[in-house]
Amino acid sequence: MLLKLRELSQRKMFDLLSQIGIENFIGVPDSTMKYFISQGLKKKKIIVTTREDEAIGIAAGMSLSKQNSLVFMQNAGFANSISTVTSLIQLYEFPIVFLIGWRGYLKDDAPEHYKIGRIQPKLLKAIGIDSKIITDSNLKECCKWAMNKINNSIPCALIIKREFHD
Amino acid sequence: MIRKDAIKIASDMIYNSPIISANGYISRDLFEADDKDTNFYMIGSMGLSSSIALGVALKNPRKRVYVFDGDGNILMNLGSLTTIGKLKPKNLIHLVFDNQSHDSTGGQPSNTKNIDLYKIAKSSNYTAFKTNSKIGLEKIFRKIKNMNGPIMILIKITKGGKPGKRITHLPVTIKKRFSQNL
Repeated sequence: MLLKLRELSQRKMFDLLSQIGIENFIGVPDSTMKYFISQGLKKKKIIVTTREDEAIGIAAGMSLSKQNSLVFMQNAGFANSISTVTSLIQLYEFPIVFLIGWRGYLKDDAPEHYKIGRIQPKLLKAIGIDSKIITDSNLKECCKWAMNKINNSIPCALIIKREFHD
Repeated sequence: MIRKDAIKIASDMIYNSPIISANGYISRDLFEADDKDTNFYMIGSMGLSSSIALGVALKNPRKRVYVFDGDGNILMNLGSLTTIGKLKPKNLIHLVFDNQSHDSTGGQPSNTKNIDLYKIAKSSNYTAFKTNSKIGLEKIFRKIKNMNGPIMILIKITKGGKPGKRITHLPVTIKKRFSQNL
């Protein structure tokens, strides 16, 4: 099993984002980023919700309290939340970082992920959310890019490709 | 008691504490009855007012944070009750104005006619109250004064009354003034 975003990188990413100003991590677990979540759980900084849009709502409430939040989810959950992204996050201009696991990136991923996986980049583009794909080598740059967006009050997304099978 | 009256009574008793109100007629009635900087009108994202309020409550533990929810809204995000029940914010007060219908879309029936939200709240670690009158609502407010949340007040209301006018503030203005007053 080869992960492009290895365990160590995922853990580092959590620490890095915490250091540079993300205070809250809320979302629905995804195996693509399980080490990221495990690092957050270890530091008691994760809130697990029942659905992705619920996590986005909580993050918006924290943003009203002038705190920076990241919402993590699988792309299937992102697709579920599009109306929340447009009618809450973008409408009120809440600066939130989305961390999205890209299922269906591999052509032979499970069939339920195929269609959303194929249109994932177009979907983000269509609703106007800027995104970057994180790898082992551009980790720091991506985190800084996301923080910069947040500091300019713009929501954005970081994507982790699912490059392995269970 | 119709929604507009119930909302006015509750808003008057809450005074200047933050309120996050559900989309549809609930926000519109609150806007018309008692527009203030501490109201966050959620005009889209149906179902999420309790989630937004949870985020506010967790980050402002010294303030009582109120949700003005509706039956249609709460049914759309029932999972939120389990997250609130797990995190147990002491300062969260969840009001549900329940007219057993989707009033703003033509009054179609909702499921709360057959399903007891009060019981769902209790099994989700809320301290729950219910009422259908002005006196009952005022009594509950006195009772919860020094009580820890999460608290749910289920207010059974009757359909009717002219809905409030549309909210005229820009969403970004609603956000800014609420945030500055936290």
